[in-house]
Amino acid sequence: MHGSAGFTRYMAEKTLPHDFKEGLSETIARYAFRDLDEKSIDERSAGWVNIMDMFDNRFAGIEFLKEPYIAVSLRIDERRIPPTALKQYCREAEETIREEEHLEFLPKSRRADIKEGVRLRLLKRAIPVARTYDMIWNTVTGLVVFGCTGAKVCDEFISRFFHTFNLQLQPICPYTLAERYVAQEGNSLNLLDGLTPTRFLEDR
Amino acid sequence: MQILDRVRKTEFLGREFLLWLWYKSEAEDGIFDLGDKGKAEVWLDGKITLQSENERGVETITCTGEALNMKEARFALAEEKEIRQATVKLGIGDNQWSFVLDSTWLNFRSFKTPMVVNDGKEDPDGVFYEKTFLIEEAIAAMDQIYSSFIGRRISPEWMTEERRAISRWIQEGATGGAAQPGSAEGET
Repeated sequence: MHGSAGFTRYMAEKTLPHDFKEGLSETIARYAFRDLDEKSIDERSAGWVNIMDMFDNRFAGIEFLKEPYIAVSLRIDERRIPPTALKQYCREAEETIREEEHLEFLPKSRRADIKEGVRLRLLKRAIPVARTYDMIWNTVTGLVVFGCTGAKVCDEFISRFFHTFNLQLQPICPYTLAERYVAQEGNSLNLLDGLTPTRFLEDR
Repeated sequence: MQILDRVRKTEFLGREFLLWLWYKSEAEDGIFDLGDKGKAEVWLDGKITLQSENERGVETITCTGEALNMKEARFALAEEKEIRQATVKLGIGDNQWSFVLDSTWLNFRSFKTPMVVNDGKEDPDGVFYEKTFLIEEAIAAMDQIYSSFIGRRISPEWMTEERRAISRWIQEGATGGAAQPGSAEGET
């Protein structure tokens, strides 16, 4: 809803059970965003937040319901350690151990253990970077607009949508759009499946 | 057929749609009838990316410029490169949208709606509804234009009329000949 962005489209089931919206606050809240604990070493947290306020993950009311739409944002927080910082701290840790243990070289497995230890130590200090992706679902037409075009986040969105609403999303692509048109016109899908790429330059 | 197989087997439809859209906007007037929603004007303006695959590997060319000035991109079409994504301008009434359409999924990137009138201070939901309406209006218009394309694409006229006209337009681009409105269609 903010600024210029990209989005991917999906189709959800148009015919929803008559009691679909009952208890929806609790259902969404179950899959709501949870803050990364400062003391934890979790690198990532994802879940729904209020589309109007990314810091609101309570879903105490029905602020997500904007008839005929259901609108929420998927918030993803990630802790990332800058690669150069990890490299520097690893080198320092390795030097300290070599001096303490009077070793000239550290075996590969030992260096891997040191790297993991340093990474976990730095993770606790890393401030999570938060991103939000808006989702607007028209429950009458079934159209779902999700504010991201990246495959990884889109896959996570489809999965979270399924777990939350128990509905499978169908991605929209040139074929599915064409399929819809052909069906509306009462034509056979064979017309579509028989198409091959047009050779525009074969007359030359 | 699984969705990903379908996407791969029919992704040429997205590439042909973008080409058809460019041809319609440049060689013809780019006006599409949306029925009770009025008329939409579509033109390509800005960045366009074309790609070809051959024995030398994948070759990609990206051009930026005004619609009638994209000679390099027109030339690339004649070199059998296909459109992978294009910046599209859509006008309906006084409203104008801008977005980049990609050929594989027909996703909208860098999507800009017309200016939203409501400032959101007094009625935040008003902004939501206004913005959502503008998003859905653009999607519905492009879907309808895509349906027009599919209607032509599955008809016998695609090979006898559209393909010939587009071929001629592509070849005009290779020689630097300016496409005159309606000239390509007049050939058919």
